[in-house]
Amino acid sequence: MDERSAVTMSKDFSVHVEHVTRVEGHGNIILDVKNGKIEKLQWNVVEAPRFFEAMLRGQHYNELRPITSRICGICSIGHSLASLKATEDALEVKITNQTAILRRLAIHAENMQSHILHIGYLVAPDLFGASSVFSMLEKHTDTVLKIVKLHRLANEMSDLICGRTIHPIRLIVGGFSLQPTEKQLIQLKKRLLEAQELTNELAPIILSVADNLPSFTRETEYIALTSDEEYSLYDGDIASTDTGKHPSYRDYKEIMQEYIVPHSTAKYAKHARDSYMVGALARFNINSCQLQPVAQDIASLFKLKAINSNPFMNTIAQLVEFSHSTQDSIYLIDTLVDQGIKQEKPVKPMKKAGRGVGIVEVPRGILVHDYTLNSQGYCTKANCIIPTNQNHANIQKDMEKLVPEIINRPEKEIELTLEMLVRAYDPCISCSTHYLDVSFK
Amino acid sequence: MKQKPRVAVFDFADCEGCELEIADLEEEVLELIEIVDVVSFREVMKEHSDSYDIAIVEGSIMRPMDEKRLRSIRSHAKILIALGACATMGGVNKIRNQWMPDEVKKEVYGTANLKGNELFDVFQTKALNEVVPVDYYIHGCPIDRDEFKSVITAIALGKKPDIPRYPVCVECKKNENICQFELGAFCLGPITRAGCKAICPTHNSPCEGCRGLIKKAETECVKEVLERYKLSYEDIRRRCTMYNYGRKECSYDE
Amino acid sequence: MKQFVKTITKKDFSTFVNAVIQDGFYDVVGVQAKGKRYVFDTLSSAEELQLDYDVTILPPKKYFLPQYEMLLKFSLQKPFEGKETITDVTRIIIGVHPYDIIALEQTDRHYLDQQQDSFYKKRRENTIIIGVDIQNVSERSFAASMKTNTTDSGFDLLLTDIGSTYAVTIGSETGNKLLKKYATVKDASTADLKKIKTVRDAVQKKYKQKVKIDKKDWSALLVANYQNAIWEEHADVCMECSSCTMVCPTCFCYDVKDDVSLNLKQGNRTRTWDGCMLKDFTKVGSGEVFRDDVKERYRHRFFRKGNYLPERYGFVACVGCGRCGSACLPDIADPCNLINELAHFTSETDTGRYFIKEENEVLEKGIIHVPRSATIKKITLFNELDSLFEIELDDKKPLEHKPGQFVEVSVFGYGEAPFGISTPPGNTPIFEIMVRQVGNVTKKLCSLQPGDKVGIRGPLGNGFDVKSFEGKTLLFTSGGTGMVPMRSLINHVVDPKQRNKFKEIIILYGAKRPKEITFMDDVDRWKKIYNVQCELTVDRCEPSECWDGCTGLITTLFPKIQADKLDSKNTIAVVIGPPVMYKFVIKCLQTLGIPDDNIYVSLERRMKCGVAKCGHCQINGIYVCKEGPVFNYGKLKQLPEAFE
Repeated sequence: MDERSAVTMSKDFSVHVEHVTRVEGHGNIILDVKNGKIEKLQWNVVEAPRFFEAMLRGQHYNELRPITSRICGICSIGHSLASLKATEDALEVKITNQTAILRRLAIHAENMQSHILHIGYLVAPDLFGASSVFSMLEKHTDTVLKIVKLHRLANEMSDLICGRTIHPIRLIVGGFSLQPTEKQLIQLKKRLLEAQELTNELAPIILSVADNLPSFTRETEYIALTSDEEYSLYDGDIASTDTGKHPSYRDYKEIMQEYIVPHSTAKYAKHARDSYMVGALARFNINSCQLQPVAQDIASLFKLKAINSNPFMNTIAQLVEFSHSTQDSIYLIDTLVDQGIKQEKPVKPMKKAGRGVGIVEVPRGILVHDYTLNSQGYCTKANCIIPTNQNHANIQKDMEKLVPEIINRPEKEIELTLEMLVRAYDPCISCSTHYLDVSFK
Repeated sequence: MKQKPRVAVFDFADCEGCELEIADLEEEVLELIEIVDVVSFREVMKEHSDSYDIAIVEGSIMRPMDEKRLRSIRSHAKILIALGACATMGGVNKIRNQWMPDEVKKEVYGTANLKGNELFDVFQTKALNEVVPVDYYIHGCPIDRDEFKSVITAIALGKKPDIPRYPVCVECKKNENICQFELGAFCLGPITRAGCKAICPTHNSPCEGCRGLIKKAETECVKEVLERYKLSYEDIRRRCTMYNYGRKECSYDE
Repeated sequence: MKQFVKTITKKDFSTFVNAVIQDGFYDVVGVQAKGKRYVFDTLSSAEELQLDYDVTILPPKKYFLPQYEMLLKFSLQKPFEGKETITDVTRIIIGVHPYDIIALEQTDRHYLDQQQDSFYKKRRENTIIIGVDIQNVSERSFAASMKTNTTDSGFDLLLTDIGSTYAVTIGSETGNKLLKKYATVKDASTADLKKIKTVRDAVQKKYKQKVKIDKKDWSALLVANYQNAIWEEHADVCMECSSCTMVCPTCFCYDVKDDVSLNLKQGNRTRTWDGCMLKDFTKVGSGEVFRDDVKERYRHRFFRKGNYLPERYGFVACVGCGRCGSACLPDIADPCNLINELAHFTSETDTGRYFIKEENEVLEKGIIHVPRSATIKKITLFNELDSLFEIELDDKKPLEHKPGQFVEVSVFGYGEAPFGISTPPGNTPIFEIMVRQVGNVTKKLCSLQPGDKVGIRGPLGNGFDVKSFEGKTLLFTSGGTGMVPMRSLINHVVDPKQRNKFKEIIILYGAKRPKEITFMDDVDRWKKIYNVQCELTVDRCEPSECWDGCTGLITTLFPKIQADKLDSKNTIAVVIGPPVMYKFVIKCLQTLGIPDDNIYVSLERRMKCGVAKCGHCQINGIYVCKEGPVFNYGKLKQLPEAFE
């Protein structure tokens, strides 16, 4: 102990990462150490604020979905669904059972696409000691090709259900502009079965390098949707590992408390503690027993058990969810084919004005859209809580615990570990500066 | 053996969907990196080089610090490609130009003291060509992957890319879609640039004009159609603000 | 041909269709519902058929001229490899209405002429048409008043719904065989035949739209109203979206593009539907658009339907299907409405025909899409834009061209462009073209080296009828690059073997600047030939430029001709140059007393296919690539669009 403090006492260095690579959006890591003491440690979000909050003012409810979809390219399906749910909640639109199933398929597709992108393109290079998926190609061709194949499948799935993966065209208030045919769904099921096989081949490969994930834990509050019927992604109630299930989704602000921080264009959030985490790991920690069997198998393979407090395991939780999505999608397709899929017109609103809240789980965590619509159908007030937003504070806190634990390591390693920490959260930084909080006077 | 052109990908204020579309080329990305050398692509690579021939830029310009970074990129690149509506025209980012920056800042950040903080120093959203000259435009929100491939191969072959200047209706009719107007909807297809294979009407959703208007919304023909189909000018005005705010129509070079 | 008529119960008909589908030999296509509308699509069972439909969104032309059709695949790695990509699909289309059958027959006249489109031909040969008599009439259809609501020919089988059965009129041996193989039929009784007529008459009453002017009078009506204000009035609200041409069964213009795969190793040449209503339809490499004004395009479409194609083939190229009427958002496309409106404007003025029909012998027949391989032998740089290319056909067969003809030169991956042939006819596979850098193809060509290969299609166009020049004085006026094709003609007539066939030869040659006088070697040679007068001028000359000749526009050269010695009535004048030059030069020629019928010009337009199919080069009703590029001014001056 004394030896170590003797070493740290004399250390003087900085780790400044401008625009962390292999994450979505722009964020900086600033670490200044003087005489072995941390002088400054900040996770800075420098993404240009786009003021979506202002842009929704006076927009008709039919335009809210296309506009909020553009908050994020990767979770555009998630934003679209949250937006539609909020509008439908406000105007009392009861979607059909078929729509509910199709929307679940859409969310599965998005989860799969985003997770495999994250695991394969953004995190895997670190685990394989490569700088990018391109440089992985030479030595690990087979692995890269598997990842690409799975990514392709996920995109084809969302193309089929939503018309287009990025900025989904078919998602509209009350349902879908166009539904897939039975033939197309049967074809999709075949592809999902192939994907399951591929995932089972990929899992041991990831396992072989999983030891490169730092083992670090910090007791954290986890927040996600939960439901008795299913592993909650599309519907559910808000739950916290600290306080349990929350009774009313409309009062989400009681859980998600945002505050401004000057060194970040994104707000921070807290609940029972200084910070909390959302995302795949949070969902796993709360709902793991509801995962499909194939997913449970993969979790066991990595010895991932609830409650796991290592943020680096978020990536593994994503792999588990990927597998779950393939299985659950097959089950949903079987249901649709059994009951017969038909072209349905969207359901019309029952009310003219109102306030509605739509909450879904997107790949990175729980997402809230909250709209107030007037009697002409225009938006007068809107608010939105973005998953990554809610994670920023946790990233900061994690760093504050992690850095002292690794402060004696070489600078390059500290830099890499901090970057890996940020990457582990799979942050969607452009999203997080685009929360909506507007009152129309 | 001619050196492969060096390509760098950058982004500003955007949703990164257009860059994701490039990644969504899937196996074809591996073909792409055979004909070009990707020397910088922050989203998927750690390496970065300031030495590149072609810069592909997504996103709009919001702040002086962004403008500075874009000018630096322009000075390094022989060819600058604007990727996606945010870069080519401003896209959804321009919706907020209806209000002054100070007003929107107050809306969002309330009374927080942001003076002198360059992160928050926003001006009216600008497309890339309002700051630096742009060589090629890849339109759409998001871009069309086939068009992206077509532009990249054209540049690689040294020829001018063939971007349509005719309306979406041409492609929509070729797809044998039922016209959105017939279904009672309001579609910007007749005055929007084609090249997307009329993807939205093909999925039964009216065109929102994300590839840029090629005809002004105030023309006689548009008024005639609105009257005939009993649609209001308000509909068109609102739909046009989504991606085309503040723009009458695309210039011929865009 | 006596037509045999059978009857088949509706149930048996379904069995027949299902049997054909099951057999798997044919791609069976039939009319089906799409929402509230109808489309032709592949059938998986007879239950999907909706034979009582009113009209499909797109006509069956999509099966013969697909929206996107690959013409050939090429390799960018081999020096020259382009393979035609015709697909071999045997198809049955069930439910084609008579007006669509007639439209296909009209398209046949155009696509199966001397230069047959092999793709179209194959599809027509491999497709069985099972037509169906109209039962329900669409809102905008006026086929009855166009007499296209029934037909006796053009189908293999034709169904008429006469209650619980279909009457099946057998239109061909192929149809007969198909019935024999798969169907259970009975002979039609006299009562059945009567029912067919009753049914057809009954449907005729359902038409809401009627055109007031008989088809045969459309031509004269349109011509009389070429300058009518109605064109501009309507075109004011035209969206220029070309929806009308896309859905039209008698429209068949297309554009051709080269696409290269991402690995830059290979690519394909594809054609896709194009529309004359689009602004860039007539745009050439240099950027000029020949039919810029929307009113001109709007008018052109109606003239094509009602005047140009009728003059050429004898039929009105509109079958009254009503598709364009429904598709047009501002509702100005409907020919029925337009003709009815024009009917108010009859006129006594001269209804001279805007059409030139010339018989021309075409050397290349049959395959019109795939270029022949050729090698660049020599490139001579004239100035920073212009280079002379010497090209040799790899099969070593002579080009067999006439002066005034052109070739389409392919550079795979970049496209194809037309070039006037600059060498005289001869028994050689070698010829010359001049390349001016204006666009993708020409820029790429100028980067090639001797030994590189290109693709050649041609010779195309009509060329000069040099025989008719014999015994006459020849007066050649060239402006700028006009000398390129002119040189082919001049070098032919001054050749010692030909020289004596003609009297004096006068050559006037002008260019903007000295460096654009590209053929000084030829000029020097011509000056030395017996009874050849050669005069040069440049518009302008800088002191730094080396030029000791005249300056001034080309018209300033005319006083140099000894007008009193000129036998003007027996002089043939040929003029080739930039569009702006023609008006002034022709005036000079007329002042010299040369009759209009003795004046020949060569015009350029956007020549794409070169075989009068794609439609881009049209000047009013004529195809510059077929009836031109050489024109007799006496006839050409009637064409309003020729010298705009």
